[in-house]
Amino acid sequence: MLRKLSNFSLPKITLWRTIVALIMVAGLYATYARFAMGFARATHLTDAQPWGLWVGIGTLCGVGLSAGGFAIAAAVYLLGFERYRPVLRASVLVSFLGYSSVIAGMMYELGLPWRIWHPIVMWNRASMLFEISWCVMLYSTVLALEFSPALVEKIPWTGVRNWYLKWHHEILIGLVMAGVVLSSLHQSFLGGLYLLTKGKLDPLWYSPNLTTLFYLSAIPAGLAVTIMALYLSIRSLDVKLDPKILSEVSRVIAPLLAIYGIFRVVDLAKNEALPYLFMWREETLSFWLEVALLVIAPIVLLSIDKVRNDPQRLYWTCAVIVGGFMTNRVDVSVTGLQRSSGVYYVPQWTEFAATLMVMTLAALVFRYAVIYLDILPKNTAKMPPRFRWAMKGAAAEA
Amino acid sequence: MERTRAILVDITKCIGCRSCEQACKQAHGFPTASEAKLSPTNLTVIEEHGEKFVRRLCNHCQEPACASACLVGALKKTSLGPVTYDGSKCIGCRYCLVACPFSVPRYEWSKLVPYVKKCDMCSARQVKGQPPACVEACPTGASTVGWRDEILDEAERRILGGGYVKHIYGSDEAGGTSVFFISDVPFEKLGFPAPPKQSMPVLTANALGDVPTVVLVGGSLLSGLYWITQRREAVARAEGNVAYPRPRFTANDDDEKRS
Repeated sequence: MLRKLSNFSLPKITLWRTIVALIMVAGLYATYARFAMGFARATHLTDAQPWGLWVGIGTLCGVGLSAGGFAIAAAVYLLGFERYRPVLRASVLVSFLGYSSVIAGMMYELGLPWRIWHPIVMWNRASMLFEISWCVMLYSTVLALEFSPALVEKIPWTGVRNWYLKWHHEILIGLVMAGVVLSSLHQSFLGGLYLLTKGKLDPLWYSPNLTTLFYLSAIPAGLAVTIMALYLSIRSLDVKLDPKILSEVSRVIAPLLAIYGIFRVVDLAKNEALPYLFMWREETLSFWLEVALLVIAPIVLLSIDKVRNDPQRLYWTCAVIVGGFMTNRVDVSVTGLQRSSGVYYVPQWTEFAATLMVMTLAALVFRYAVIYLDILPKNTAKMPPRFRWAMKGAAAEA
Repeated sequence: MERTRAILVDITKCIGCRSCEQACKQAHGFPTASEAKLSPTNLTVIEEHGEKFVRRLCNHCQEPACASACLVGALKKTSLGPVTYDGSKCIGCRYCLVACPFSVPRYEWSKLVPYVKKCDMCSARQVKGQPPACVEACPTGASTVGWRDEILDEAERRILGGGYVKHIYGSDEAGGTSVFFISDVPFEKLGFPAPPKQSMPVLTANALGDVPTVVLVGGSLLSGLYWITQRREAVARAEGNVAYPRPRFTANDDDEKRS
């Protein structure tokens, strides 16, 4: 007993812990500002720019960057790419946490968040947002179920555990298929939201094919996020994973981005938006930044063996893709609407703080899930003793 | 089709007295202080453009973008013509603000329980056969109300009489509205937005119509892929090749199994 007490010490103050603490303090203040003082005090949103950072980053990027889960699940279960199986659970978890963050972000974004359940009983089949809300509800459930064995296998009662895992195995393929269909629908429909902004959204982004464009860009960006999460797990969570698997996943990204890039160019030509590519405007600069980060740079970088086969370089390449993807979503939701709205929207710091807090919490949950659950193979030898208890149990049976 | 109500605003007749603003505020119980722009407590406004007074209010589209956007169906085109808002359904997503081609709906940004506010063409009054408060208050007849077809005929008659720009704003904007404007100055010089001249809900209807196809075709495609994968695996197993062993989560997995 005494020895246990003497082992107890306050957490050490490190750089990362300080950053997390600061984000949490700022985020908690933003939460207070949003719910105790209202939109006018917590955001720079106006009638002319009614959707800002919380939709542009929180929802559009949150959902888009969580597309890795359905892609990897489909690759393993439906296409039989067994070589991706070791990273399956991690990518499903990343997606699940992504969707959880989106739902948490909705609490800030909605004016009347306690009515978030209304779409379940109040239907409007003509609304893009209605379809999205149903898809997100259903797909979050699918992700939770896909991930559930990682928790259930820690239950000490063998009977319950085996019953659940057996039942889960029966419906798993159905879940994965439903996941692919639901994801395909709502990833596209997020772009579909902006079909109604015809005449308002800049010609560089408005297109009748916004749905397809959003879908095509979400899959490579989602895979890039998965690679980033895996790299960080290897680096700092003592995960024992062959780095080759990262370059395996990255192999798919370049062709997907190329398809997206070609589609984008053809689409711009079809919409007669090509002249806008060479105008000295903020929109055009933003467009080129987006295309450089999301399409040109990654395709060049990923064609270099030295980049693909070096986990750290690959990590930074994926970060570029994610940056490009976020630029695209912000362009559609903010930059491209600026001219018609006549308002130059810059988010208030509390908007950033709330979003950062939600993202940080998701990252923390991921970290502890990887440590305590069987998400990724680990080097048990190097594990701190307090983590070892979690390594026993049903791990071997899984 | 049922006959619907419509408002005609004749910009040549408006003298900028703001009686419509005041009547609207009184009818809705808002504070009566005059405001320069549309706001949650100012659902119609007189904007000055040069020497002209331009009235702004909800245009009550025939096929409203806002009503198609609203995921819970809080916004509705009523059979009498007005587009109304049911606050008890609203969840505050503000997609209606994004969707409106005329940028009309306002949001109560400073309230802790915020709602959307927009002109409802005094729907409740019109059901009782009364004119909208703003029309009733207009001393010069710049705003008039009537059946939509008759109002359109009247607008055409005035334009043919001369002295007007040859366009009824609202006749084809956003697929047609229930509030029409006629003017002796081109509309683009008066700050009128230029929305697409088509029904807005059509823009999303096509994509939404694809849902059953995606579900059916996607579902069968995926089932087919799964079947092929299964078959291939079964063949591999029969031939004694197992390409990929299942993952091991810990370095000790093997030891545990052995013991």
